[in-house]
Amino acid sequence: MRSKKTLFSIGVFLLLSAMSLIGSEAATPSPAKEIPISAEMKEKFPIKAHHAKLSLKCTDCHENQGDNPENFKLIGDEGCLSCHKSKVYLAERLKFMDTLHVNPHNSIHDGPKLYCDECHFEHQKSDNMCLSCHSNDVKLWMRETP
Amino acid sequence: MSQETMSRRDALKLGALGAAGAMLSASQAMAAAPTEKDVKFDEEYDVVVIGTGFSGLAAAAKAAERGYKVLILEKMGRVGGNSVINGGGMAVPMNKYQKKHGIEDSGEKFIADCLKAGLGINHVEMLQTIVKRSNDALEFALKCGAKFQDVKPAWFGGHSAPRTLVTENMSGSGIIQPMAAFVEKLPGCKILTRAKMDDFVMSNDGTAVLGVTARINYRFDKNLLNDDIENKSGEKKVYRAKKGVILASGGFAMDKVFRKMQDPRIAEDQDATNHDGATAGAMLKAFQIGAMPVHIDWIQQGPWASPDERGFGVAPLLTQQGLFVHGIAVDVRNGKRFMNEMADRKTRADAEYVILREAPKAYPVVIGTYNTFGPQIYPQVDKGLATGVMKKFDTLDALAANYKIPTDALKESVKKYNETALAGKEDEFKKQTLKDLKAAPIDMKGPFYAIRLMPKPHHTMGGLKIDTSARVISANTNKPIPGLFAAGEVTGGTHGASRLGTVAVTDCLTFGLIAGETI
Repeated sequence: MRSKKTLFSIGVFLLLSAMSLIGSEAATPSPAKEIPISAEMKEKFPIKAHHAKLSLKCTDCHENQGDNPENFKLIGDEGCLSCHKSKVYLAERLKFMDTLHVNPHNSIHDGPKLYCDECHFEHQKSDNMCLSCHSNDVKLWMRETP
Repeated sequence: MSQETMSRRDALKLGALGAAGAMLSASQAMAAAPTEKDVKFDEEYDVVVIGTGFSGLAAAAKAAERGYKVLILEKMGRVGGNSVINGGGMAVPMNKYQKKHGIEDSGEKFIADCLKAGLGINHVEMLQTIVKRSNDALEFALKCGAKFQDVKPAWFGGHSAPRTLVTENMSGSGIIQPMAAFVEKLPGCKILTRAKMDDFVMSNDGTAVLGVTARINYRFDKNLLNDDIENKSGEKKVYRAKKGVILASGGFAMDKVFRKMQDPRIAEDQDATNHDGATAGAMLKAFQIGAMPVHIDWIQQGPWASPDERGFGVAPLLTQQGLFVHGIAVDVRNGKRFMNEMADRKTRADAEYVILREAPKAYPVVIGTYNTFGPQIYPQVDKGLATGVMKKFDTLDALAANYKIPTDALKESVKKYNETALAGKEDEFKKQTLKDLKAAPIDMKGPFYAIRLMPKPHHTMGGLKIDTSARVISANTNKPIPGLFAAGEVTGGTHGASRLGTVAVTDCLTFGLIAGETI
């Protein structure tokens, strides 16, 4: 038979555990926690086919940004380059395009210096910045911007 | 594209925009520039420069070299604005390359050339300053790492001597990239991109500029009708500029609202040769605090551009160094010529607008045969055809059918043009490139090349008034506004009604350097 004292100590223990759980949740959001992606979410924040193929989850890019996709922030160059290494590396990969001066990652105008999201957008259609002046010749140089 | 003057509908639309803007931010619309007591400075610099084009970077580089701590704010994501998409040509009277190749030139000749193109309304003291200091500006650019082709200077339209130097990579980026790197290496210097200046911060008595308010992490939105008013992105910062602010924010040839107010022929959706961010916002803030406006409605438009591609594109080369030289431009409605294809930019743009205002979609067509292309642009001929900007036809009949030009009238125009030229007579438009021809200017064997024409805003001549030390003059006092300096396309008066080709780089680097010296 349980005494009142035992019940009380169990109660205090449970309360403290619950507090510690909430506390730890608030202090360090678990990066492993998966956000369920509903059909609605998929439609609102579609991702590019080459990223979908890798089964990327929201939090793979939006690290430490909580668990509400509506509040996610842009990940910036740093986010992109955490997988894609560096702008110079990306420019090197398209070095063969330098011959005709049409390497988009090392253009005559900007070199390897542009923000990734001048052209590449993950959740909407990308927009090739070269087109703003070279509307008709971009199609001779490259395919659609991934 | 609609070529009508501002219609009632436009006026209503603008009115509605104004009303919406007023409701959203009544206080902002009514408020004067903030004063010292209204703000708390987040950071302090000696100099704050607005813009990273030729003038902004030259000013920043010079000020930084003198030991000042300089912050450069650039609203776009890329460094360099129009300067980085420009062709890299810089006209410098009496430069060392001219001397090397035995070319005679003088300051008087340069000023006379600029006055002729500028219809005499240029502020001559500014041109004299360019003559005096442009070689220094060239040396300074070289010192910063810019590289120019070591060849005989090029001879550009309207210049009475070959005096134009071209960068090694044939782009303004050949100056901008090394200059930006030069600035960033100097201690205490910083370029912030996606950082938009919002307001000047004034002294409590409202007479002197002490700094600026700005937004970092701002994102320009080309889809807005008026980004300067509508865009609310970014987080506010206030910067103190102990020595002053240098405004080098460029021209407004892409400002859909403001340019149309100055020249109603320029429709809101009309393309220009400029980058999307070339708007009037920063210049208007300078007017708000009293800067003197000069020549605002003189907007230079390129008559050599095509509606069939965006921006500058390939048409300007194929027309200026090709189809315009020996070919003819015709009104598609009647098959007749309507201008001297080799007249100055303004005369030709005005002639094209006469047609486009009567019939907004009736883009004139310029027609010529292979003999009209200079050898230097043979590679561009293929590019023009591959991109569809230029079309090729075996017969004049096929060409006329494609553009719906009355065939017989077109053939008559070509016949008359060829006969007049071969007879050694001056044609009705006094075209200067038809003298001493051995063969018909248009080769009737064909094939016939054609490009549709549309003027595109290119350079805004007007802006705020600066003195020869790059100090901004106040319309309230006729004296310099303490703490405010400016250089480049945001200033007005230097070029008068129309700027000569390749003098923009000279103007920007020269007065940028001077601003960096004066401050």
